[in-house]
Amino acid sequence: MSLLRNIAGGLRSLFRKGQAYREFDEELRGFLDAATEEKIKQGMSHSEAARAVRLERGGLDATREMLRDVGWESVVENFWQDLRFGVRTLRKSPGFTALAVLMLALGIGATTAIFSIVEGVLLRPLPFPEPGRLVILGDVVEGSHCASCAPSSVTAPDIRNYMRYTQSFSHLGGYRGRLFELSGTGDPAAVNATRMSGEVFAALGVPPLLGRTFTQQEDDERQQVAVLSYGMWRTRFHGDANVLGSTIILYRKPYTVIGVMPRDFEFPLNPGLVNQSELWLPLSLQPEEFTAGAASAWNSRMVGRLKPGITIEQAQSDAERVAQETMRDYPAHMRSLRIHAVVTSLQEDTVAQARPLVRTLFSAVIVVLLIVCANLAGLLLVRAIRRRREFGVRLALGARAVVLLRQAVVESMVLSIAGGAIGLALAAVALRVGVSRLPQTLPRVNEIGLDWPVMLFALGLALLTGLLCGLAPAFAAIRTSVNETLKQGGRTGTAGSSHARLRSALVVAEIAVALTLLAVSGLLLRSFEKMRDVKLGFRPDHTLAALYVLPRQQYRTQSAIDEFTKTLLNDLEQLPGVDAIGITSFLPAAGNEWSVPVTIEGHIPSSGAALNMAAISLVESDPFEALGIRVLRGRVFAESDNAGSQLVAIVNRKMAERYWPGQEPIGKRLRRGLPESSTPWITVVGEVDDVKLGSRDTETVPQVYQPVTQSVASKGVLASVGELSAADGWIVLRTPMAPEQMQTTLRAIVRKIDPQLPLNQMQMMEHAISKSEAPRRFNTVLISSFAMASVLLSVLGIYGVIAFSVASREQEMAVRMALGCPRSGVILFILSSGAKLAAVGCGLGLLGAVAASGLLRSFLFEISPFDPGVLAFSVIAMLLLTLIASALPARRASSTDPMLALREQ
Amino acid sequence: MADKSSDLVQGTLDMLILKTLALEPMHGYGVAIRIEQISRGVFRVNAGSLFVAFQRLQRAGLIRSEWRATENNRRAKYYVLMEQGRKKLSSETREWERQVVAIARILEAS
Repeated sequence: MSLLRNIAGGLRSLFRKGQAYREFDEELRGFLDAATEEKIKQGMSHSEAARAVRLERGGLDATREMLRDVGWESVVENFWQDLRFGVRTLRKSPGFTALAVLMLALGIGATTAIFSIVEGVLLRPLPFPEPGRLVILGDVVEGSHCASCAPSSVTAPDIRNYMRYTQSFSHLGGYRGRLFELSGTGDPAAVNATRMSGEVFAALGVPPLLGRTFTQQEDDERQQVAVLSYGMWRTRFHGDANVLGSTIILYRKPYTVIGVMPRDFEFPLNPGLVNQSELWLPLSLQPEEFTAGAASAWNSRMVGRLKPGITIEQAQSDAERVAQETMRDYPAHMRSLRIHAVVTSLQEDTVAQARPLVRTLFSAVIVVLLIVCANLAGLLLVRAIRRRREFGVRLALGARAVVLLRQAVVESMVLSIAGGAIGLALAAVALRVGVSRLPQTLPRVNEIGLDWPVMLFALGLALLTGLLCGLAPAFAAIRTSVNETLKQGGRTGTAGSSHARLRSALVVAEIAVALTLLAVSGLLLRSFEKMRDVKLGFRPDHTLAALYVLPRQQYRTQSAIDEFTKTLLNDLEQLPGVDAIGITSFLPAAGNEWSVPVTIEGHIPSSGAALNMAAISLVESDPFEALGIRVLRGRVFAESDNAGSQLVAIVNRKMAERYWPGQEPIGKRLRRGLPESSTPWITVVGEVDDVKLGSRDTETVPQVYQPVTQSVASKGVLASVGELSAADGWIVLRTPMAPEQMQTTLRAIVRKIDPQLPLNQMQMMEHAISKSEAPRRFNTVLISSFAMASVLLSVLGIYGVIAFSVASREQEMAVRMALGCPRSGVILFILSSGAKLAAVGCGLGLLGAVAASGLLRSFLFEISPFDPGVLAFSVIAMLLLTLIASALPARRASSTDPMLALREQ
Repeated sequence: MADKSSDLVQGTLDMLILKTLALEPMHGYGVAIRIEQISRGVFRVNAGSLFVAFQRLQRAGLIRSEWRATENNRRAKYYVLMEQGRKKLSSETREWERQVVAIARILEAS
């Protein structure tokens, strides 16, 4: 109540200041008049009485001042005054103001944009209730150094066992993403769908927007139901609320739509924008997924919600117990496999991979901001030095130092907040343009945006910047002795040594951080260059690729599949303008490699050693020719290599060098699976060049190519009953024409054979490669542009400082020249003062670069963080830039006429 | 600008003003004179502290002000004690008396 009145009273006197003052003046005058009359009655003259009253009761003006300071509104008013004063002084030097605001806008804008990524990707809690209790459960298979496999994945029997026998989870379920052919509504298309246990929805705890989610019971009963994502519902079903109960066709099987998830629901939290699940279906594991090779395919993941009070460690030991049980039940052909259960928090699992990238970006942008701060502080310092006389006069006239300090800080805050506001707008623009270009390795990209925390961050940043940049120069300015300053009169003598030191320190700091960033960007650029030099192992030009997946429902038998493939290859061969065609299960550069254990004849692994893993590509026709993969030895596959003939394989150079170093690989034998798995021997008939299955900077893996027709036979016990092969594959096609011209033709041919079959991810191989390079390019471009900005800013800063110190020493220079110092001497003198700063800055910067190397190592490719070439180049570049920045003022100083400069005084 | 005779104990000016206004609504000068008269010239109030106190008491909702004509037909701002002010006065008075008794005891004891 009284607080309210207080605020109301304060506001009233703030906004109706004139009236409040008039009323008060009238009242006070009445008071003093009455007192004066009293004195006159006692016999004083009018003037005597007035004087006595002023002495006794205090004068009008003094009282008015006293009253002004009552209540909180006086603080506001003082601030308001300072603000107006600040804006007024800034308006008087528009050049300085524009430069400062622009610099701040760039610094704060860039930092805010990057922070919004940090916030959206790393900091924000996952969009599920009580996200801290959500965990990922999976196996680590001993000895399988499979860098590209998803960490901690599970097999179908694992899902069953963990769900049945663990006790630490209130809900636990498995999930597996895959492409589904969607037809029955609009054009047939491939959609990203996730098969998952009913328990997964329960674990995540997000209610649907419409309808309901499926239960574990429906999952167990293999009900054909589907839950749509919001995006899918809007685009394919136009946001129709009657979609519930309607039927969609997935792989030619009908599913009933039972629910739609809310807009911000996303699961699994896959990196990138394009991989997000559009559809959720019951996992409904099929019997064949528990047998033979399928049972040892770690192709699913599990998510669970911990029971209240259960820690991750407890859950892990609980799951480990189940894992040991599972291992005990392994069939003979998996006997030597050892697994461990691993439980990690879902948050950690989601962001772990993105963390180094985001951290590096954030550090880089903070460096830019620091340089901006140093520059601004330098500019303000120069301004403060110019205004020393003004400060001196004001201090002499009785202004309190605190007030001067307050005004200086308010002035720099005005700058920084204006800069912050413009920076925020810049960040908004950058995000609107930039989010779609973020590398597809970042999770939760959808959540990146300018929300409240980001805005607050920008505002806080602006205030902090203003405070820091404003305080130091202001202190320096008011510390000057009043007498000294005033005594110096109009003379522009050399500035106090403490100012000079502060300015030099700022410049040294700028050079140091700019050098660090320059070195980092140099290392990244060299890494990028080195990556571009890596041989792909195939020729991406004039090549078109597209993925097809034949639905089981339609293609039930091997002969149906073979019929499709034969017709497809035939029709494609007939086409004019096709040089070569092939089908392969793995597309180079697509990053979807999948390594499995293999056993090499005569190569007995010692116990405890790593498993022998190789990526097996199943091929048909001649993908080697179509992709331009060089055959080094032996032959490629022929028509005669079929299900009935001798099992054959082609290995890559890496495989041959690892297992048969210095020997002829042709004629050697290998087989699929572990030593104890009973699988038939396969004879090597050829050796081809190493092919990058992922991006160029990934390691080349040992590769084995097999004719797809021999796939089931070569799997031996690993093949499940009735297993079919060749139901999916990448068509690769080499054409002398522009490959995009072949797209429609390829589509038409597939549509002719099966009108419902969509072609997925049709792409030019050159695009696939540039896509695989995108994350590195993104890093490199962004950090290099930060480095360029910081170098530019620090050169500006150096120039500003040297120019100012030269200008303030003009007289000294004139005296030197008048006494016979040659012009070149003056130039040398100034250049050397710049070079000194640069040398110290570069020394510190090298230390900074060494410190940054730890953070950086994971982004470098075939280059050491201490690469002498890059470091030397950065240092030389920085020194040269410093010299150039100081050369301009030096020239100007040496060209002044000593007589003119001396006479001016 | 210290008060001439004797400085007021911190915080007591508010109580004295409330007490004065408890008799009847009064303008600023009247309050000052009344305090001086009743204290027989021990306390002298200057305009600054008086009006700052008025402002403070108004903010706290203890008194309110209105313009009225004075006895010699001038316009003056009169201050009126409000219900809350009356309560405050009686509690302050009680507290004051308690303290005075306590201080007196301490002084006698030594």
